[in-house]
Amino acid sequence: MPARFSRPDIGTDEGGLWAMMDREETRLRRSPFNLRDPQLQAHVQEMACRLAGEHCPDIRVHLVRTPYFNASMAPNGMMQVWSGLMLRADNEAQLAAVLGHEIGHYLARHSVERLRDAKSRTAFGQFLGMFGVVGLIGQMGVIASMFAYSREHERAADRIGAILMQQAGYDLTEAPKVWANLLLEANARPGGRERNPLFATHPAQEDRQAALAELAAKFQGGVANDAEWQARIQPHLRDWLNEEVKRGQHEESLAFLNRASGRAMGKPDYLCARGEVYRLRGGETDLQAALDDFRAAAALGNEPPETHRGLGMIYRQQKRGAEAKASFDRYLELAPQAPDVLMIRSYLEELRA
Amino acid sequence: MRTLTLLLLVTLLAACATVSTQKMESGDRSLGERMVVNLDAAWNKVALPNTGPAQTWTMEGLPVDQLLIYSGVKDGEVIHGTVFGSKLKSFAFRSAMQPDEIVAMFEGMLTRDGSAFKLVKLEPSSFGGAKGLRFEYSVIRKVDNVRLSGVGYASVNGGELFAMVYSAPQLGFFPRHQANVQQIAQSARISLKPGGGMGEGTRKPAAAQPEPACRTQAECRALGINQK
Amino acid sequence: MRANHPGLIFALLFVPAIAFAQVPNVAPGFTTLPKGAKVAIMPSDIELFSISGGGVAEPRADWTEAANRHFKAALEKKKQALALNTVEVSEKDADELAELNALHAAVARAIATHHFGPPSLHLPTKDGKLDWSLGESVQAIKKATGADYALFSWVRDSYLSAERQAAMAAVAVLSLGRVVAVGGAQQTGYASLVDLDTGRVLWFNRLQRGTGDLREADKAAETLEVLLDKFPVAQQPGAKASAPTSGRCPSGFTIMECRARGYQ
Repeated sequence: MPARFSRPDIGTDEGGLWAMMDREETRLRRSPFNLRDPQLQAHVQEMACRLAGEHCPDIRVHLVRTPYFNASMAPNGMMQVWSGLMLRADNEAQLAAVLGHEIGHYLARHSVERLRDAKSRTAFGQFLGMFGVVGLIGQMGVIASMFAYSREHERAADRIGAILMQQAGYDLTEAPKVWANLLLEANARPGGRERNPLFATHPAQEDRQAALAELAAKFQGGVANDAEWQARIQPHLRDWLNEEVKRGQHEESLAFLNRASGRAMGKPDYLCARGEVYRLRGGETDLQAALDDFRAAAALGNEPPETHRGLGMIYRQQKRGAEAKASFDRYLELAPQAPDVLMIRSYLEELRA
Repeated sequence: MRTLTLLLLVTLLAACATVSTQKMESGDRSLGERMVVNLDAAWNKVALPNTGPAQTWTMEGLPVDQLLIYSGVKDGEVIHGTVFGSKLKSFAFRSAMQPDEIVAMFEGMLTRDGSAFKLVKLEPSSFGGAKGLRFEYSVIRKVDNVRLSGVGYASVNGGELFAMVYSAPQLGFFPRHQANVQQIAQSARISLKPGGGMGEGTRKPAAAQPEPACRTQAECRALGINQK
Repeated sequence: MRANHPGLIFALLFVPAIAFAQVPNVAPGFTTLPKGAKVAIMPSDIELFSISGGGVAEPRADWTEAANRHFKAALEKKKQALALNTVEVSEKDADELAELNALHAAVARAIATHHFGPPSLHLPTKDGKLDWSLGESVQAIKKATGADYALFSWVRDSYLSAERQAAMAAVAVLSLGRVVAVGGAQQTGYASLVDLDTGRVLWFNRLQRGTGDLREADKAAETLEVLLDKFPVAQQPGAKASAPTSGRCPSGFTIMECRARGYQ
């Protein structure tokens, strides 16, 4: 573990990067995309602190509302954790694997090396986008920090992250799962994962999964904290799931939701979300799959009101008037202030006629 | 504010020749083959290359407010333009779309750049004399964190989409121009065809097609891709 | 929003320094600040970059830090020269006023693009006038600072590294002068004065040129002069014109800019 870093001389390229990141951090602090949940922020900050050991005082965690899997750590200690990542982590250990990985980049000063490498490339915005909140994902070629380093850097960060994870008492076997899950999702996209804007044009990342699995085999024990983590994200779950569904990347969402619907907590929310994806995709067998999911969610209880709206929409399409009416009524009962009550009431009018 | 890459600068210089702004005087204005609006106040129409089927109107300038007007979008047509080698999802209109799917389509378009969207209201309405919908929304724009308010009107007739979507900053600008936008929406008249209304017709799910990496020769060459 | 064209919207600030026809810098009906008017100085947004051999713009903290210092000092001097009554906006207040700041930045881009930009982008309904207003929500700035007006400024400046200059020269030579490498140094920015009761943009000055240097005090002062050129303050009776009139007009200025400075 290197000693704590001091602020680089302002005249150096690193100094320039540091100062830019300071300004970016100020923007982030003022941004409406900054997820202002003091409890959740404090918890993730505490996790990052434990992972970083004596570097703890230098790290500042910011939670960001963005429905993509990413975390990043800038050379000035600014750490960003995106909501898409917090949604996808099954437990604290998986989140710790990602945070540890980013801290690994920070400790090994990969970002500075990368800045020097970026000099020979034309897209500086691409590099900056790794650390900034501002970034037109996919358009300016912004590559999420998690996938943007060279193979050697990624492997090194994986190794360091694994050690930090293990020292902080987390179960290392969760680390390779992070990559396995991500690959599942990315490969689900029609056209393959090369079409995913988050992935750099580097060759297969399956070897990272294998390397981490090897490391995990060496160390036993450690906690995963599934229940604790899922309880923490529960207040945000419906918002995050809604944002995920609205991305319109049906196959990726299904790959994620197929996995997440197995979680102990929030099952009705995941099932409702998956039902929505099926309903919106509308393929041959999708409407039936959607009905199954909505019904399963309702049967569990504590289902989101949208469950019944989804059922109502499908019944209406299938000309099953009585069932549609019952579902829409239930939706309005559960969500009398929903934005679309007038639209749903008009459907009920039609059904009555 | 971000310094731009050379690529975008070159794009701009290439596109410069085809940018123009036109005054939309008050009175009757026909938009496309089948829609007419009557304007109380004049607007500005800005023509930009590669922006999809919508017309773009503005009162204060594109960085501030935008009125997107769609007249006769066909089944399967993408509702926005595309950028070099973009890996982003495209959003296309389908004739059999239900109201909530039409809103989801606009939501998708407005969030392609990472902006956040929130639906505030969705209600049945008529637009242009055809059965349709009206929705209100708010957007937090990703590039500069500006909070926008928005309103949209849409209807489907003869299997084609007619719509107006207006976004402006929630502070000052949206309240200022909202009534004006409403006036235009209420004045809209579509030359109606029988059938093909909103939510009617058989649903054909979109085939899961991979988006092409490049669409024009220039784009493909820029990415080093050999077009077949 | 036309999400796929924000790049275009930003790009328009980097149109090379072509002199378009003169458009007014002041809102209709506005000439000068009333005497003793209090002006809130919003935190300047200045970034300086070095363009490396490969054309990559690299942020330079030392230059930016120097530029901010010089800008502040020059502003201080200018304040005294104009006898302005000012108040600084603290970083904390800036945090609270972030939404208004973001709103102003968007309006400034609109003005830079559609008022000072190419004629093909002028908005006919504005009728050639500087006619933009943020609306009454700006009163939050008035509340926080006690000021009646606010001055915003924004500068992006890039300088060619030695390798870049060599590369560009090589391109020019190899193409026998036919190719002008794009992406040379640029100084771009604006200063804007907003009425904190109505939100009207009263005065807007656009900076767009291939010269200027914020890295050193005297040259930064010159940039500030250009940025605040004709800042609408009533001239004190008997005061001399602020611009020097002796010597040759510095290179890089257009004829109009030279005359504005009192050169022949």
